[in-house]
Amino acid sequence: MDNSGKEKEAIQLMADADKKVKTSGSFLGGMFGGPHKVEEACEMYCRAANMFKMAKNWNAAGNAFCQAARIHMQLQNKHDSATSFIDAGNAFKKADPSEAIKCLNAAVDIYTDMGRFTIAAKHHITIAEIYESELVDIEKAIAHYEQAADYYKGEESNSSANKCLLKVGAYAAQLEQYAKAIEIYEQVGSSTMDNPLLKYSAKEYFFKASLCHFIVDELNAKLAVEKYEEMFPAFSDSRECKLLKKLLDAHEEQNCEAFTEAVSLNEFDSISRLDQWQTTMLLRIKKTIQGDEGDLK
Amino acid sequence: MSSDFEAYEQDFGTLTAEITNKIGRIPKLGGEEKTQLVLNVDKQLEEVRELMEQMDLEVRELPIQSRGMYQSRLKSYKGEMDKLEKDFKRSRIAYSDEVRNELLGEDAGSSESQRAHLLDNTEKLERSSRRLDAGYQIAVETEQVGQEILANLHTDREKIQRSRDRLRETDANLGKSSRILTGMLRRIIQNRVLVFVLGAIILITIILAIYFNRQKAFFWSTLRQCNEELD
Repeated sequence: MDNSGKEKEAIQLMADADKKVKTSGSFLGGMFGGPHKVEEACEMYCRAANMFKMAKNWNAAGNAFCQAARIHMQLQNKHDSATSFIDAGNAFKKADPSEAIKCLNAAVDIYTDMGRFTIAAKHHITIAEIYESELVDIEKAIAHYEQAADYYKGEESNSSANKCLLKVGAYAAQLEQYAKAIEIYEQVGSSTMDNPLLKYSAKEYFFKASLCHFIVDELNAKLAVEKYEEMFPAFSDSRECKLLKKLLDAHEEQNCEAFTEAVSLNEFDSISRLDQWQTTMLLRIKKTIQGDEGDLK
Repeated sequence: MSSDFEAYEQDFGTLTAEITNKIGRIPKLGGEEKTQLVLNVDKQLEEVRELMEQMDLEVRELPIQSRGMYQSRLKSYKGEMDKLEKDFKRSRIAYSDEVRNELLGEDAGSSESQRAHLLDNTEKLERSSRRLDAGYQIAVETEQVGQEILANLHTDREKIQRSRDRLRETDANLGKSSRILTGMLRRIIQNRVLVFVLGAIILITIILAIYFNRQKAFFWSTLRQCNEELD
């Protein structure tokens, strides 16, 4: 009951605010009470939106926030406008993803205008996540993640940049843009291996890079593994490296069973599960083996 | 034909019974009697094999329809024969075990206890290796979790550094703004003082003007009076 009451109140507030904005349009109103009235209207929009949120009417809340944001723009309050757009985006996330993306894009434009790249990058990530999960448009998601990574690099927060780049790399490899993925993983790997905090994750990145090399061409993979071992001695001790060497051998002999065995039962998988991305890559490599055998026949 | 086969079957039955009996007795005996029994059993096994071959020939001469039943019987007899041979072999091995046991002065039951012992050990080894594997798995998982945590820490570190820098900037900006505000306040006070001073000057000018007017009026009136007196 409480919620529906709030909703009615909210609708009432919206109507009031609309009226205020209209009346302030006339000349006299603009002269005397103009700016005051518009600000009041803005505030009323915000309150109405909050009430809609309480009543869980996300669409209406989003609309109210958008209105408020536009009024802020009129009043040249860029910060407030951007914040309102973000609130609108959050409200729309639960109801209508495409609207949310529009609002978030507007907000990001305002932030980049003002020069606040960090927060713009954070919202690029949010947009990319929406593309990832709800709208499933991987290309756009990649584009946004890349933008976010660039902004983060510009602001010297390499860790956050690396986080975004990793996502870009994973999706690029999924979409078979292996050259890009390889580059990204190598870059991230070499930058993390010096840092004492992060060097334990470096070997995982090199492993992923080698997998991508592998899919493209086996010889490349061999050279790459040697290069990484040179760069990063600890890599050769890791189980991932040993697995890679086994895979290389099995691939040379075109031996499908040895390949599967090396990966699964007795070895790697039983100790630490392979995640979805890695399994997909290994499956592709396996298919190339089988494909080669088919060609030979 | 079938009566021959049945005769063979009967012979087979009696022979197998005897063989089983003797095989049962072999391990318990020793020395001369044993070798004799072994030879006996050998001979009987030979006889059984010959019987089997003849039964085979009989079955082949039969017409196809009735073959099925006899063939299945043959198969079961063959199975029995194999089993008998196996038992025979085992009993011969047990033969050597017996003698060793006598030599080494242990009782007959200990060989089994030894086997049980060994099985136990193997099981313990397997259990420990399984536990080691599990431990290794946990160690690897811990390492992965550690990696994630380290990466998070790194991000947080950068965030904190950035916020600290921003905070310093804000601090400087606040200082500047407070200075500007004090400047503004001073200027306001100056303006007010100026306004008061100017107001005071204007007042004084007005008062002087009125005063001088009065004085002038007085002067002119005295002058007129003098003029009138003269006239």
